[in-house]
Amino acid sequence: MTAVAPQGSPLDGVRHSLRTEVLENRPVNLDGFVEEWPEVGMVAMDSPFDPAPSVRVQDGVIVEMDGVARADFDFIDQFIADHAIDIETTEDSMALPAVEIARMLVDPNTSRSEVIAVTKGLTPAKLLEVAKTMNIVEIMMGMQKMRARRTPANQAHCTSARDNPVQVVCEAAEASIRGFSEVETTLGVVRYAPLVAMALQIGSQVGEGVALTQCALEEATELELGMRGITAYAETISVYGTEPVFVDGDDTPWSKAFLAAAYASRGIKMRFTSGTGSEVQMGNAQGKSMLYLEIRCILVTKGAGVQGLQNGSISCIGVPGAVPAGIRAVAAENMIASAVDLECASGNDQSFSHSPMRRTARLMPQMMPGTDFVCSGYSATPNYDNMFAGSNVDSDDFDDFNTIQRDLQIDGGLRHVKEDDILAVRTRAAKALQAVFDYLDLPSISDAEIDAAVYANGSADLLPRDVLEDLKGAQQVMDRGITGLDLVKALESTGFSDVAANLLAVLRQRVSGDLLQTSAIMTPALEPLSAVNDANDYQGPSTGYRPSGARWEEMKKLRHVTSASNPEMEVE
Amino acid sequence: MTEPDLDPAVDYPLSVNRRDLLVTPTGKPLDAITMPAVMAGDVDAADLRISPETLRLQAQISEKSGRPALGANLRRAAEMTALSDERVLQIYNALRPNASSRAELEAIADELSSTYHAELLSALVREAAEVYERRDILATSE
Repeated sequence: MTAVAPQGSPLDGVRHSLRTEVLENRPVNLDGFVEEWPEVGMVAMDSPFDPAPSVRVQDGVIVEMDGVARADFDFIDQFIADHAIDIETTEDSMALPAVEIARMLVDPNTSRSEVIAVTKGLTPAKLLEVAKTMNIVEIMMGMQKMRARRTPANQAHCTSARDNPVQVVCEAAEASIRGFSEVETTLGVVRYAPLVAMALQIGSQVGEGVALTQCALEEATELELGMRGITAYAETISVYGTEPVFVDGDDTPWSKAFLAAAYASRGIKMRFTSGTGSEVQMGNAQGKSMLYLEIRCILVTKGAGVQGLQNGSISCIGVPGAVPAGIRAVAAENMIASAVDLECASGNDQSFSHSPMRRTARLMPQMMPGTDFVCSGYSATPNYDNMFAGSNVDSDDFDDFNTIQRDLQIDGGLRHVKEDDILAVRTRAAKALQAVFDYLDLPSISDAEIDAAVYANGSADLLPRDVLEDLKGAQQVMDRGITGLDLVKALESTGFSDVAANLLAVLRQRVSGDLLQTSAIMTPALEPLSAVNDANDYQGPSTGYRPSGARWEEMKKLRHVTSASNPEMEVE
Repeated sequence: MTEPDLDPAVDYPLSVNRRDLLVTPTGKPLDAITMPAVMAGDVDAADLRISPETLRLQAQISEKSGRPALGANLRRAAEMTALSDERVLQIYNALRPNASSRAELEAIADELSSTYHAELLSALVREAAEVYERRDILATSE
């Protein structure tokens, strides 16, 4: 990250100890670190320019918030004051000392709903003050209780450096059998989107259990694919914490609220996206701390009536990662999203550090307490295939991740799966895509391509496709108005009845709207599971979600576990 | 038809516990969306949409679960079912910063109210028009 040899490097011509040389060569020293610089917002959660909390209500309207009079509100202030804060309770909630609210978040004797009765009346500056009193373990305690859905889950990225749909269909099938509840893709070449989104949708429905799918694109295109039923939910609806950056993103809280209603009106699940560091990165943080600005995003999301938020710095993780207490602030932003009763898809989704130790440490504040989606997402491919610019964890880490789940008895949503079973679903998924492309008269997929993709680790192991033909095919999908229902028909007509039935079950969910409730996923039995029918009931030791029964037995399995009855053997 | 009074603890998920209440916008019961019906061509994309009535049931569940903002979004969504995909995208684009004049936004608010009886959406757009003017993010008139 640095262009010049850092002071003390072996290249500076000074004699150094062998110890220093060893340390210089550690991967962590490839990471970028900077001093705090509050004037430009390079500060995690404690800027001298952050406002002091305040609220004043007159005639049922907030007339002052965090030291700003209503006439001087920017559009974010006004949206939050009018849509996100409970007018009835705000003055009472704001009167509580921040440390008392922080204690409620940590105290097992206080229930989740008692906390929410207070947080619903808090302003951004007050929520910041609460977070500032909490250390990382207390933040994790808060997360454990405030996560909306009782059962944690996980999300995968399924992408291909070549935008190869055969790879994506295989990765989606493998991600689904490994336990991911959602799979997300994006593109190198955007025009490939229809074919890759179809591959993701089909692959995720192969085998037991289904994952909901998403294709991250520019807002209008993402909405169109969702409306057609080629994707099942949407996530890349960005919000920002300062007015100039929001405007640079070509949106306002009102345009985003309108978009939120648009998704719901078509029965499509949706969450917003934000994260610490985005305003600094976009050059207009107005001197505020990253966490203060992120809390404004969280409350814009809540005010828009969106069920959830993807946050945890996301693609800007290098920014909070570079400043002191940055990763504590990232954990705090997840906790605050949960504490105001939003679904939280909690980051861990971008290349963050060269250091394996540091990557793991960054993951623990979400993985240990459990979040609605521990990663948003976990790269189901090798790093080089991840078109979201890498993730904090990738396919190379599957066995490590499963081992950490087993070591600590914590549920990150994944499981070890035998190679035979993985090859079987990858094969079936690729054959299903081959059949669907053939049925719909799209560019054909050869048996040799399938064989390569099933046994591949990444796109370097694949047979190349005719990209120009594929792009013509992708355009046809849009021109011919192919929908999710056409995929169902194609699958059913070509002998993939089980896959067709799963996909139809997902599409039928749009009619019921059950997935519009907070933190909704589909269970392996194809039933909706959300914060309504699986509300987090953690209230101290022996309560709440703990891996047990069949799930715990499944988590005990790893690639190599020695049998107790026969030490010469490994457990299947 | 009066809206049924739901209990989130008993009735949710509606697709499991209250299939009797679920009807597509085209008037088909949820149970009519079967594979044989799909293959016979009796189901089209319009059948796989949510109806305004169902969105209001889900809004009721959100509100009774202590989520009034989510409920309000679902009630706006219920109104939006009447708009075509194309009109939805046009209005979204009109709400972007510096994209519309105050008069244009007010015309949209009027249209939402008079053509679609979408009073909640109309109020949202009207509110945006006021804020955009105060924050100077209306389209500059030529």
